Amino acid sequence: MGVTTEPESSRIVAISPDDGSAIDLRNPALAAVLSWAVPGLGQLYQGRTTKGSLFMAAILTTFVLGLWLGGGKVVYASWKPGDTRWAFVCQAGAGLVALPAVVQSAQLLGPARQPLLLNGFMAPPLAPGQYVSRSYADRLARHDPDIGPDDFFDKPPLKQFRRDQLAQWHRQLGKFFEIGTLYTMLAGMLNLLVVYDAWAGPLGLSEDEKKRRAAESAAAALPAPPESAS
Amino acid sequence: MVATTALTVMTVMAVSPWLVQAPLLASLAGRVPGIFFGLPLVALASLIFAATHHEDPAQIRLATVHWTVWLGGMLGMVLAVVLLLGWLQ
Repeated sequence: MGVTTEPESSRIVAISPDDGSAIDLRNPALAAVLSWAVPGLGQLYQGRTTKGSLFMAAILTTFVLGLWLGGGKVVYASWKPGDTRWAFVCQAGAGLVALPAVVQSAQLLGPARQPLLLNGFMAPPLAPGQYVSRSYADRLARHDPDIGPDDFFDKPPLKQFRRDQLAQWHRQLGKFFEIGTLYTMLAGMLNLLVVYDAWAGPLGLSEDEKKRRAAESAAAALPAPPESAS
Repeated sequence: MVATTALTVMTVMAVSPWLVQAPLLASLAGRVPGIFFGLPLVALASLIFAATHHEDPAQIRLATVHWTVWLGGMLGMVLAVVLLLGWLQ
């Protein structure tokens, strides 16, 4: 890896470890932000289409696959006591695809007491005693086969949930809750490498650089020459 | 650029709920032993590692194979040790 600024054009370039050619990084900060927002988009912006497409396909496929394996319930943001979702910190690395979780969580815990997308996609699970809007409670009772009207206390103008939805999800999904979480987390974490690649170019060392470092290590390992008598 | 971003995000968001409700795929996944779900992750990690260390597609392919063998081998050894310890107990 090597990043340099060409003086005549002020372009920021990285040196390819494979053939030593220059890679135009254009605006590295913008490329990094784009790669975080949509995996591979920063590389596409830099004209590195093969790598950009590869990153986009690999990371988004893994994220969606994980979401599917986890029944669409494994990506959610929650900072409630007893259900702090640390996995979301890694999942957020995948960029905008994880953003609905933040919106849903803010809406459900905010004054509206209901998620923005009313089917509850990426909304955090309801905790015992949690207040929700009447329309969201009715919708859950109608559409979620595991929730009935009796699962809510009527507390006008809201309704109070009386069960533990997270425990219910674990019972329902079994091992797939963890597998789906792992897939989405790994997609998010690997996207950080993609972001770094957009920002600073490939991480690999060229053959010349490897030889130079090996020579330096060998020189450092040699015993120091004896001090000459004065 | 904005259109590509919007299209990608909208496609992912549109496909995800459909996949969640695909019963045939779900029943197929249910029959696969849990350990096999780790194999695509080894391949994915190898691919991303290789692609972030090289620029040339041929080198990326070679490095992907190298990382898959290395990572798979290491995890395989850990699994073997765990199984051996379980058998000895």
